Amino acid sequence: MFYEQKNNHSDITIREFLIGKQGVKAAIIFTNCLADLVTIDQHILRALMSLREQDVPISESYLINQVLSVSYISLSDDMDVILPKILIGSTALIIDGLSNAILIKTANSHSRSIEEPISEALVRGPRTGFNETLSDNTALLRKHGENASLSLISMQVGARAKKGLIIAYIKDLADPALVEEVQRRVSKISIDNLPESGYVEQLIEDNFLSPFPQVQSTERPDRVIGALMEGRVAILLDGTPFALIVPVTFSMLLQSPEDYYERWLAGTLLRMLRFFAALIALLTPALYISFIAFHPGLIPTKLAISIIGARVGVPFSSLIEALIMEVAIEILREAGLRLPKPIGPAMGIVGGLIIGEAAVQAGIVSPILVIVVSVTAISSFAIPQYSAGITLRMLRFAAMFCSAAFGMYGVVLFFLLLLSHIVKLKSFGIPYASPAVPYSLSDWKDFFVRMPIFMMKKRPEMLQNTDSKRQKK
Amino acid sequence: MGKYSSFQKRCFLSILCSMTLLMQTGCWSKGEIEDLSISVGLGLDQGNETSLEKKFDKLGAGYKKKDLITYTLQIVDKQSESKSGDVKSDSGAKPYLNVSETGDSLFELLREFSTRMERPVIGHHLKVIIINEQLSRKMSMNNLLDFNLRDNDIRPNCLVFMSSGLTKKALEAKGNSVIPSFRIFGMVGNTYRTFKILPPMSLIKVEAKMNAKASYMLQNILAVDGEVKFSGAAVIKGATQKFVGRLNEEELLGVSWIIGKGKGGVVKAYDEKTKQIVAYEIKSMKSKIHSQLKGDQISFNVQIESDGRLSEEWVNQGQTMDAGFIKSVEEAAEKEVKRTIKLGLNKIQKEYKTDVAGFGKRFSIEHPKQWKKVKDDWDELFSEADIRYDVKLKITEMGAKDGH
Repeated sequence: MFYEQKNNHSDITIREFLIGKQGVKAAIIFTNCLADLVTIDQHILRALMSLREQDVPISESYLINQVLSVSYISLSDDMDVILPKILIGSTALIIDGLSNAILIKTANSHSRSIEEPISEALVRGPRTGFNETLSDNTALLRKHGENASLSLISMQVGARAKKGLIIAYIKDLADPALVEEVQRRVSKISIDNLPESGYVEQLIEDNFLSPFPQVQSTERPDRVIGALMEGRVAILLDGTPFALIVPVTFSMLLQSPEDYYERWLAGTLLRMLRFFAALIALLTPALYISFIAFHPGLIPTKLAISIIGARVGVPFSSLIEALIMEVAIEILREAGLRLPKPIGPAMGIVGGLIIGEAAVQAGIVSPILVIVVSVTAISSFAIPQYSAGITLRMLRFAAMFCSAAFGMYGVVLFFLLLLSHIVKLKSFGIPYASPAVPYSLSDWKDFFVRMPIFMMKKRPEMLQNTDSKRQKK
Repeated sequence: MGKYSSFQKRCFLSILCSMTLLMQTGCWSKGEIEDLSISVGLGLDQGNETSLEKKFDKLGAGYKKKDLITYTLQIVDKQSESKSGDVKSDSGAKPYLNVSETGDSLFELLREFSTRMERPVIGHHLKVIIINEQLSRKMSMNNLLDFNLRDNDIRPNCLVFMSSGLTKKALEAKGNSVIPSFRIFGMVGNTYRTFKILPPMSLIKVEAKMNAKASYMLQNILAVDGEVKFSGAAVIKGATQKFVGRLNEEELLGVSWIIGKGKGGVVKAYDEKTKQIVAYEIKSMKSKIHSQLKGDQISFNVQIESDGRLSEEWVNQGQTMDAGFIKSVEEAAEKEVKRTIKLGLNKIQKEYKTDVAGFGKRFSIEHPKQWKKVKDDWDELFSEADIRYDVKLKITEMGAKDGH
């Protein structure tokens, strides 16, 4: 029967041999490269073949209990169970006369070593990042500290390609209703394949139309641990270094673990700087357009005059001008990401310096706009979360159109609209704008300002933890 | 609304809300900044058509108007064709442009501008309004400034000046690097150096005076050969809001002493014995006006105090000075101050009969009942009031010169 399967699965190896004095026919079946040959040779083949001089009862229990020195062993007589197991690295032992096949876990893990996370670099903080192996990732969480209440619920997702998924939470901290809700949403996933945790994110998020990410993804184990300790829930998927954290609030997108590692004054200042940078990244081009095209009276006189001097000869309206440069810089950024690493910086120089300078020289854009665009771009790099950065980049264009239509009033309307959306948005039942709306004063200790650690005695109120005290005294 | 679902109601409400927001009034006028002309100065002269206008008129231009006012608008010019490209190469061209039009309605005149220039004028950055004193003698400030106060572009902090010559001249500069309006606007900042410069009178302050029918002074500007000088003040009479006369620099100093709002300045006097120069620099200035009412006779008592330093003296020639000398300098300076006060008071009280120094205000505070009776012909009563004044200057330091 297995020989039939070999037609479809050319990477299956079947090794036949005889056991004991009686010469019972046996065979092991495994997949090349996925199964660990050392284990097979030493613990299966050698153990079984060394029985050749002895007269032994060939039974499943005898082999499992006394011969095979391997940790993971199971029995099955179902072809639908055995074949997939073989195909992900198990070895099946079939013996003439026995109805069950013995499945021995021999999968070798060729996992990437633990490296510094690329997408979330820190100056101060652990240099570990998740890798693509689920067991390594859960081990990283476990290694953080002795903690028996760290619960990991294992689930299988994907109808056609089954994958391991783990829901992690701290048992006596996380709101049970939240854990249940996460489990419910994950179990409703019925897609045939989940290549990355982004699939999970999109399938469990609350509002698919919102520009804001409602699930936080991170490569950093310390960020996940921090979230778990606040009573949040993490979702880890096999095959990706990105873990998901729910629920998420807007302020989390502008926080970095470093805020907590640095002293509170530095942490607070950096955090405020990031809020400021987010505003700049969102609104500067829009404000530029509204000042230039609608409210020349709001610019200080001398600046107005120099702007006029700079804009003389620019043939486009301020919206078109800003769009040209903003789109150009977005293309540059995208191109820079996709380029092989050695060419990336050269690309930045060519794009940023040469094109910018030449565009000004040629009179296509004004030098003031180049300043605006670069300040905007740099500010958007200050957003610690890549996905939040994308959100702001998207919304920036919407703000520009609003401003081109109605001037400053349009910018204000746009901002109001955005605020009303954020206030209404929820991530796993937690209002996105909390702790600002709904208002919760004690959570403000960790919002714009990061208060000294000894003052943050309680976990965030908004998460409705079962144990709210962080510091007992 | 019973037959509509709550979703429909919510949709309706949100559309209604967004529509109402869009209907709000706001600054909707779109115009790219480089397509606008920024006016920074406005000069108002008596009607006198420019030669250019006369030529236009000959070709058939013109409409029904009285030639009462000629205005000169100063526009910052960065956009002329010759100036595109490198900024450094155009040092031969002036950075501003003065345009004149003659007619009666200021508003109409400003809109006439559009028939001559490609870029519409905006008034957001208007810094100075200069009014010719002869024009002001004929027309009240109410009429001259009405448009400027009504126009929502023009900022109320725009400053108002008087010019004894043509304002056109005050809006000209010799070099190519100066924008005359900015120069005048900047000179106002020097009030801490001399109290020959009046505290700035902005449009909003003038409006307040106009509504109160109060008299006030406006800084006078002299202009010669593309250079300007702040010299003296123009006196506007409260009842008519018209120009009545000018104070020269000394008279202005005297009135400023009575007002007591100066932030700094010099009193130069001559030493009594040696007739040499002694100069007193004002550090602080305080004045207090007291009004007295005896029967119908109004009298005022002005007490002026000032601290200052001895900044220059030509008397001692390096010898140590004694307390007696300080005393004599103080006396000499006090005498000088009294002289200017006398000059100034004489002008405003006897000649112009306008109370620009705030006597009426003090009187209204101290004798509110009487004030109600007299306020309509206050200027007349003020001219007959008896004003006594006392000046006390105190030298508190002698500067950094060693040992003296």
